[in-house]
Parts: sequence; structure tokens; C-alpha cells
Amino acid sequence: MSDFLFGHVGSDLFREFDRLQHHMSTLAGGFPASLRSNQSYFPPVNIGATDDAIEIVVFAPGFASSQFELSIDKGLLTIAGERKRPEAATGEGARSYARERFMGAFRRVIELPPNANPDDVKAKYTDGCLLIRVGKHESSKPRSITVL
Amino acid sequence: MSNETEVTRRDAGELGQRDAAGRRAVLVPAVDIIEDKYGVTVWADLPGVPKDKLDIKVHGDNLSIEAEAVVPTPAGMSVTHSEVRTSRYARAFSISPDLDTSKIDASLQDGVLTLRIARREAALPRRIEVTSA
Repeated sequence: MSDFLFGHVGSDLFREFDRLQHHMSTLAGGFPASLRSNQSYFPPVNIGATDDAIEIVVFAPGFASSQFELSIDKGLLTIAGERKRPEAATGEGARSYARERFMGAFRRVIELPPNANPDDVKAKYTDGCLLIRVGKHESSKPRSITVL
Repeated sequence: MSNETEVTRRDAGELGQRDAAGRRAVLVPAVDIIEDKYGVTVWADLPGVPKDKLDIKVHGDNLSIEAEAVVPTPAGMSVTHSEVRTSRYARAFSISPDLDTSKIDASLQDGVLTLRIARREAALPRRIEVTSA
């Protein structure tokens, strides 16, 4: 579960720190000490921005589109859901060799920039990726100004 | 297929990084592997992968999964935060000789690949009838 600030987290230096910290925690066999989002969180999220909108890609395979709970409140976009292990995986006499896939409930919160328009949100689920597009307020879009 | 014969280890810390040989970085998909009487089932998380970008190869006792995620991004987008930094997935497994590599069913649904590998007839558990003399 993680929150992260939108916009100024992409620095390579911080990424390197994250990677190092994650690597260290893996070696130590403990839980990742970092509270910043990294690959340990489910689902991983990519965020991009265009002139018109904020584009969010949530890498959450194995869901039905109705299983996601999406909400926006006070500039915070919340994506929640639960992934259940398939029935066949818990059958009698079955032996499990690997259980790496995330199962259970998750919730991720994304802070949207102030120019995001909560009334203009589109979400689509394809091939295990949830694509969310949050429009920007008209007034914040770049426009050219004619010099008279 | 067993843990010991698995040739790749999942190391989340290496995601998005180049490997030792300097080849292009790949994501190691998370998998669940369950064995039952009739064979082995493998589930692999491959978010963003369409059917035509998925390549499953069997060579001898080696099973390899290679895939590429296709995420539509609008033109002129600048990335502000990314936790998934490469679109290629790769993972390989060694298959036990008890399994029949000619009987593999694969299906891809919502970014989850399900592989069902049947056990060889000779390796199936069977009951031996006792006849009275």
C-alpha cells in the first residue's frame, strides 16, 4: 500500500536509491524498508501526462473489469480490488512449487495534480492492464496567445 | 517440474535492469506452479501482453516463455512515474521427464497465461490388480 506524490518522483537518483534499498532488503531476507513505491507493490503503476490528460496504466492481470473499485476524492485517485486464487489451485493432493503471484486485496492511492478534472475520467481494461485517463481542466491546457 | 530444476530465479530487484551479459532488460513474470496427479499447471502474470506477442517454446526439456507487453500510449506523452520500465518478459523452466511436452495446453486471458502440462501415461499413478492364484 503506498501513496506517492505525483510529478517529482521520477529522478534517476531516487530510482537508484530505491533499487539499492530493495536489493539490500532482498539480501537481508526482510521486508522492503522503503515506503516509496517500487516493484514490490501490487499492482505496479506507470503514469504519464499529455497536454490534455494524465494517463495511468495499472498492471493488474487476471481481473474482470467489474472487480476494480475506482474512486476519486479530493484529488486522490484510489484503485482497489481483490485477486482470488483459482479453485483448481487449491485442489486435493496438489503440491505447490511456486507461489509468486500476488493474491488478496490491494489498494493503491495516486495523488492527482491540481489541474486534473475529476469529472473527466475514463477507464478501460485490456490484456490485464487497466488504463485510466484523467482529463485536465480546460484552463490548464497549453494554448497559444495571439499578440495583437 | 520442481523447484530444483527451475532454471530461472525470480529477483524483483533486477526488474528493468540489464542482465550481467548486457542484454536488453527483461521482466521475470511472477508464476504459480501446482502439481497434481495428472500433470502440472503454471500460471504466469503477463499484464499487457496480447496473444500474438506471446511465444512459448519447448526445446528438449526446456520450456521458455517470451512475451512483449503492448500498452497503448498517446502521442506526446511524457512519463512522470514508472514502476514497469521494460515491456519484455522472459522466463524459462526445465521440465521433468515425467511430463509429456507434446501435451501442453496454453491459454492467455486478461494478462494471465495458464499452461497445463500433462503427465506421461507411464508416469500416471495406477492401480495394480492382484489376481488370486
